[in-house]
Amino acid sequence: MSDERLMLAFAQGSSEAFTELFHRYKQPVYGFFCRRIAEPANAEELAQETFFALLRARDHYQPRALFRTYLYAISFKILRAHRRKAAFRATFFGHRNPVWDVSKRDATESGLWVRRAVEKLDPLDREIVMLREFEQLSYAEIADLLELRLNTVRSRLFRARTALRDLLEPAARAAKSVLEHHPAQTASPNAAEASAQKGECA
Amino acid sequence: MNDTSHPVAPEEVMSFLDGELSTDRSQFVSSHIEECFDCGKLRDSLGNTSRAFAHWVVPAPPVAAGVKNLLASSAFVASFKRPSQGGLSLAVSRRRQWALLVVSVVLVVLALWVPNRVARDLPVTEARQARANGGNSESMNGSLDQFANESRGRLQVPRAQSNEIGMRGTQEPSNGWGQNGPLIARTVSLSVVVKDFDAGRASMDAVLARHKGYAASLNVSTPLGAARRLEASLRIPAPKLEAALHELKSLGRVEGESQNGEEVTAEHADLVARIKNDRETEVRLQDILRTRTGKVKDVLDVEQEIARVRGEIEQMEAEQKNLEHRVDFATIDLKLAEEYKAQLGTPAPSVVIQLRNATINGFRTAFGSLLALVLFLAESAPSLMLWLMFAGIPAWSLWRRYRRAQSRSALAGA
Repeated sequence: MSDERLMLAFAQGSSEAFTELFHRYKQPVYGFFCRRIAEPANAEELAQETFFALLRARDHYQPRALFRTYLYAISFKILRAHRRKAAFRATFFGHRNPVWDVSKRDATESGLWVRRAVEKLDPLDREIVMLREFEQLSYAEIADLLELRLNTVRSRLFRARTALRDLLEPAARAAKSVLEHHPAQTASPNAAEASAQKGECA
Repeated sequence: MNDTSHPVAPEEVMSFLDGELSTDRSQFVSSHIEECFDCGKLRDSLGNTSRAFAHWVVPAPPVAAGVKNLLASSAFVASFKRPSQGGLSLAVSRRRQWALLVVSVVLVVLALWVPNRVARDLPVTEARQARANGGNSESMNGSLDQFANESRGRLQVPRAQSNEIGMRGTQEPSNGWGQNGPLIARTVSLSVVVKDFDAGRASMDAVLARHKGYAASLNVSTPLGAARRLEASLRIPAPKLEAALHELKSLGRVEGESQNGEEVTAEHADLVARIKNDRETEVRLQDILRTRTGKVKDVLDVEQEIARVRGEIEQMEAEQKNLEHRVDFATIDLKLAEEYKAQLGTPAPSVVIQLRNATINGFRTAFGSLLALVLFLAESAPSLMLWLMFAGIPAWSLWRRYRRAQSRSALAGA
């Protein structure tokens, strides 16, 4: 059954439909927040808030777009609210936003060099490329979500990917050389899984 | 890759990889990439970049116990009302809200309209009752009228007696005044609102002429953009006061009325007695002057005394006359106001002038409002920000705590 049909069934009161939707999207939504927020606990909380928002908004749901787009739109709004609160907190209460401290991460983490490259992008370019690569949203959906023109999305996405290519190729070469010279510290194929078992947002 | 000479833009290669091109264009770009070395290289590099993202792995979500419970409890999901039920209850509550709103508006309108209506109808009703009861409906007015009638009735006999006595000699008033009944100087204040001011004024003049009264003072004001007003002090013969008053009341809606009766009997009697004494003194002095002979100085003294007494008599007679006039002619302090109706002004001279005036007024208004806004901000913005900061931050914090507590209680309830 499609996501949209499940959501309609949930809107009619089917708890099983919601359970199914939750199981389908718990990983993507958690990943959405986890890639954008440093603290895994916050990511988990925001993911929960997303599903609570879905619960609350079910009476107003209309299948005008893909459910996936609808869900990510909710997630994006919650993320923006979280960032706004964090900025407010930092401004008035001096609470600093926790940032990704790469030095505290596992050095063998396989995705570290990708994340570092992504961090160097312009914030808007970064958001566009992440929505495309991870959330697999179409250009039109990204344009709707970020309230941009379609051509802007396309050109910024191309620019971001080109920049990433330039950033990733030297890093990949360096990582390859490290692997060749220090086999003991190699990043095992299961490094991502090991990191995942630690419960870290890698 | 040269964009100008190349049939496929680099972004199109990317769109092709992302599946964002139409079928025709996609086939064209695909065939081009197979032939073009640069585009093939770009495709490979973009593909490598996208594949690199696969290394950024996110662990499985540590689903919180609350969410697990939430999913396990179908009752929680079922506790959310079905849309039809929710919609119905919402519709009912909205209907109730609308009904309450309509009832409130009706009540407010009634509360504003009924008192005005009652106040407007009251004078008419009272006038009808007065006509039906022969003018005895108003207690004060009736009692005063009755008292005045009785007074006048009692005065009829003394008048004749007074004429017979011939106490005032050549200055005996035509109506004759005695000392047996009370003398009342009546004063009435009346405030009337008329629909047609000109007709009201004409009616007032007609009332004066009909009852042989006169206007002691009259002041008409016609302010621009407001109702016209007339203030007059009318003197009406006392016996006709009641009829004149009734006619004046019928001119429009009576807004206020007050009546006052001042008894001047003692004052009048005192004056009469003093005049009588002075006249007797004058007669004796004239007898002395006529019968007695003496020094010139004594004669001059007697003449001087006669002149003084004569002056006193004339002064007191004037006072007596004034007093009797106040009794003979009742005073009506009439305030006649017009029901204001906004009048269309005279047509503007021309469209050009109207446009010019409107433009100038518009600029003035815009500048004034802008200046007012700037002044308001300059004056209030610092304190507003200060209070917003003081009040907003705790409110925001409390709201956030409330929302958290709500979520937790929902989880706990599940």
